Amino acid sequence: MSEPIVEFRHITKRFPGIIANDDVSLTINKGEIFAVLGENGAGKSTLVSMLFGMYEPDEGEIYIRGKRERINSPRYATQLSIGMVHQEFRLVSNYTVAENIILGLEPERKFLGLFPCVDIRKANHDIAELSERYGLKINPEDVIEDLNVASRQKVEILKMLYREAEILIFDEPTAVLTPQEIKALLFVLDGLRDYGKTIILITHKLNEIKAVADRCAILNHGKLAAILDVKTTSTDEMARLMVGREISFTTEKTPAEFGDTVLKVEGLTVKTPSGYDAVKSVNFEIHAGEVFAVAGVSGNGQNELADSIAGLMPCSSGRITLNGQDITHASVRERINAGIAYIPEDRHNVGLVLDFTLRDNFPLRQYYSPAFSSKGVISESAFNEHGQKLLDRYDIRSSQGNATITRSMSGGNQQKAIIAREVDMQTPLIIFMQPTRGLDAGAVMNIHRQIVAERDRGAAVLLISLDLDEIMDCADTIAVIYNGSINKVAPASELSVDDIGLYMMGVKKE
Amino acid sequence: MKKLFLSCLAIVISLLFGALILWLMGKDPVAAYMNLLQGSGLMHKVKYAGRQSMFTDFMSFIDAMTPMIFASLSVALALKGGFFNIGVSGQMLAAGIAAHMLSGVIPSRVLVVLAGFLAGAVVGALIGWLKCRFNVNEVVSSIMLNSVIMYLVTFYINVFYINPVSRQSKSIADAARLTLNGYRWENLKMDIPLAFPLAVITALFLHWVLERTTYGYEVKATGLSPKAAYYAGMNVNRTALMTMTLSGALAGLAGVSYFCGYLAAIQPGVTPSMGFDAIAVSLLGGNNPVGCVLASFLITIISKGTVYMSSRQHIEPEIASLITAFILTFAACSAVLDRRKK
Repeated sequence: MSEPIVEFRHITKRFPGIIANDDVSLTINKGEIFAVLGENGAGKSTLVSMLFGMYEPDEGEIYIRGKRERINSPRYATQLSIGMVHQEFRLVSNYTVAENIILGLEPERKFLGLFPCVDIRKANHDIAELSERYGLKINPEDVIEDLNVASRQKVEILKMLYREAEILIFDEPTAVLTPQEIKALLFVLDGLRDYGKTIILITHKLNEIKAVADRCAILNHGKLAAILDVKTTSTDEMARLMVGREISFTTEKTPAEFGDTVLKVEGLTVKTPSGYDAVKSVNFEIHAGEVFAVAGVSGNGQNELADSIAGLMPCSSGRITLNGQDITHASVRERINAGIAYIPEDRHNVGLVLDFTLRDNFPLRQYYSPAFSSKGVISESAFNEHGQKLLDRYDIRSSQGNATITRSMSGGNQQKAIIAREVDMQTPLIIFMQPTRGLDAGAVMNIHRQIVAERDRGAAVLLISLDLDEIMDCADTIAVIYNGSINKVAPASELSVDDIGLYMMGVKKE
Repeated sequence: MKKLFLSCLAIVISLLFGALILWLMGKDPVAAYMNLLQGSGLMHKVKYAGRQSMFTDFMSFIDAMTPMIFASLSVALALKGGFFNIGVSGQMLAAGIAAHMLSGVIPSRVLVVLAGFLAGAVVGALIGWLKCRFNVNEVVSSIMLNSVIMYLVTFYINVFYINPVSRQSKSIADAARLTLNGYRWENLKMDIPLAFPLAVITALFLHWVLERTTYGYEVKATGLSPKAAYYAGMNVNRTALMTMTLSGALAGLAGVSYFCGYLAAIQPGVTPSMGFDAIAVSLLGGNNPVGCVLASFLITIISKGTVYMSSRQHIEPEIASLITAFILTFAACSAVLDRRKK
């Protein structure tokens, strides 16, 4: 019979401005594969990190093997035989596999019966045996930097097994793997279960859960939405529970009136610096007066799509045209001049020079134009007036007006400043990448209104967001991106949230 | 304003540390510090040798300060653009030898300045190019180049250009020297640094460039956040290359005003320590060109006044380097403090 090994009781965890986990209670049994499913920011990682001692719950208790435990560090979690494979691997890249695995638990021997030293031969032998037993084929003497991602993951798993972990936590283990590698990993997970290990799998990929998990908890905005028996539940049902919620249309908007095509993307393919196709021959068109929203789970090529249209990343093939002008290989500045405004995702490192004053940040993408400088000399008065104008018009709160150092401002006001700068350029195309991430409700509403206002002005708006509420709120046309390809394009009125969820998960395809 | 306060704090703490050491050595710190001022021509000495006065001391002081201004401007510009130019010494040597060689053919002050500017620019550009093209850390390449240049210069001097009596390079022709040596005025005999006005003008000009030109705006944006600069449509590599080239050129001006002005010859086998002191000066001046002039003034008091101090108080002259080192340490601390407060 199933015997509970981990128990969360009424766990609540708050971060400034957000409740990551809200009164979550669940029980995980020994020897099962238990999946935790949820959207980005639903609180999956936070919940499980508490089990590994990375955070402590604000309220509630954790029971391990029926005993209440205060897990205050990963070290203590390891003592309780809990292991975790993080999304980012924690390996020393110039050490061998065996050296990484034994790190902190080195087998010792006495050299000449006197001097303690690491018994690497024994370690190699033990690890070869261990990897043989669990079907994780790997050579203990290989150096980490020579291994591919899937092999590194195996090393991480062996690291847990070497420490005799009984409860194995995997944080999005398949995010970095190819389909074949995923298959192999799922097979390994299955094998580990047969050895009596308990596995906790965090993921948002439904077919993986369907393939291996026994039970699955669905988190939605920090709350436990359901605990399901995977065998008897369809993937459609899971997707619905994962994204399903009341959608509130808070932004008032008139029906869209589409004009001419502004942006045309044909067969766009973008390679990451490591040579991986992040965007795969994508086609779409955006018209004047249209909010074209791209929905999708994080890491499916959204960043690369936005950066390649804005000119920050080269396209490896395909064609981008703006108002009939081919800009496929134009520089960033040529695209600014051609009329592309871009609100990037990373507002701290990309969107702003944080140590500049507000006044100096406003003309960041226009300082060279005749309005702000002539013959290489900056017009102080133009800088000042422009800054003051944007401060007044877009209600940006800053302690010292124009002279405020941008770093000292709140995130919401920093974002307001970027949006003010880009919107004020009155360009035919404006790209919003995750415009409201981390902002409070008031700021979000304000930005949504601005997005719609831009559309009403007659701009083509490309909105890329991980937040489905935001997409439902603003979009006229919705495209769903999955694994670098656009799965579905349809008018917003024809798609339900449930449908989008299925396309986002790659369950449904055109 | 806060930067100014932190810089002053760094100086005061350093002077207190120096005083503590002087006191532990059984010397009178107040008298020692007064000797520094006297040696720099900022306070009256008890007596002067013939044809000398406080004014002639002060002119020598200005003569020593001139290359320091250029060197600190070089460091400051590089830091604004996100580079740590620790190779000022090497760039100075390259400029010095180039100017010496050229003046042997045509002794002209204008050509000396020009040669220094260009030679420094070439070395700076090389460092910038290595960084942009191959992502070679500029600290590593500039330190290495310091040695490369020093040994090349040493080789050249020892083989072709040695003055066998002084064991230094031959002296530069008076017509090409940037300091009027032993100039007689009334009954005084003094050194007149002709490059000093150029140093002050350069500082003001650089300040204007950084604050008021699009190039200055690009330098600062690239230095503070290369990603944001790229997003802004700036040519990040070209700006970086340009910045290192100009930083090298400024170091070159420091080189000629040092080796063809303050001094008349180059000592083989030695890297001028001024290139490293300039880092302290630049940090102390808050990487601001005008601040650099003020900080140069202060640091030169310590380095120039130390000869007189050591002879009066019978202290090793290295105590001055020690105080400069304290200032560097505390100025670096205050730079971090300043950043963290934001």
